[in-house]
Amino acid sequence: MADPNQYLRMQLGGASYLLPSTAGFTIEQRENLITNKSPEGNVVAWRSVRSSRFPAYCLDANLRVARHQQWHRAVFLDAKPQAVGLVADEVQLLPRAETVISPFTPLGLPPTHAGHLFSGAWVTGNRVILVFNPGALASYLQGLGEST
Amino acid sequence: MKARRAGPRLHALEVPLEGMTLLVPSASVAEVVNPSNLTAVPFSEPWLLGVVGWRTLAVPVVSFEALLGAPAPASHAGGKILIFYPMSGRKDWEFYGVLATAEPRPQALDGSQPAVSEGELPDSSYIASGLKIANQSMLIPDLQALQKAFYP
Repeated sequence: MADPNQYLRMQLGGASYLLPSTAGFTIEQRENLITNKSPEGNVVAWRSVRSSRFPAYCLDANLRVARHQQWHRAVFLDAKPQAVGLVADEVQLLPRAETVISPFTPLGLPPTHAGHLFSGAWVTGNRVILVFNPGALASYLQGLGEST
Repeated sequence: MKARRAGPRLHALEVPLEGMTLLVPSASVAEVVNPSNLTAVPFSEPWLLGVVGWRTLAVPVVSFEALLGAPAPASHAGGKILIFYPMSGRKDWEFYGVLATAEPRPQALDGSQPAVSEGELPDSSYIASGLKIANQSMLIPDLQALQKAFYP
């Protein structure tokens, strides 16, 4: 069973974000993925599972689509109707005792129909790392399109 | 001329912003802090400047100028963040911040201060009214309208 207190830290561009392990995710190495050779489009790689293939997107620190080749792994979220991924510059499963997550609600209208992208924050001194709301993150990624 | 009758005193804070001044009850403010690193919240409203770490919480910080349709201050240097208590009916951790351009100043109101005329108020649902203090117009935010914008 996933430990709700365990978080995956992902480095996207210059920013760190946390993903709760309750989300259900798989980390894939680049060499196990089919990379998009075309410079066009939002998808940077696909994960092929049996007859399905799941897209992965490259995002910058502001979560906007970016395309660069300096990545080594992708994190695929278990989502409906299909898994969706994002490539990360760095991933690290944080020790359980290390992270204390506070609830956090961004103000204003949520950017996805599944709600706000963030549902918590890890505050250490002046440093704040936002915690993804996995459903909304998956919804955002799925909305980037070009899945096949 | 008849002097205006002074009523019970209400302690308020004069909050300097870019091109305007807000007036808020002192009791609504939990703390005034220096603007440290603001962490951006991707895909947030243009008036949400980011979040600041305060105690163990991530507190969203708002530009009131941007809420009124003006540009947010380009620099936070010399500014302060007022941390407000959560709004009525919200969870006890839902503090929010407003960026001020300088240290807020205390004001004691006794009901003798004249109201700002309708025509002098900005055309915004986020402003409920205003008071003239020492010839300066001070704007009183409409907390209900703010609550609707913050938590739609």
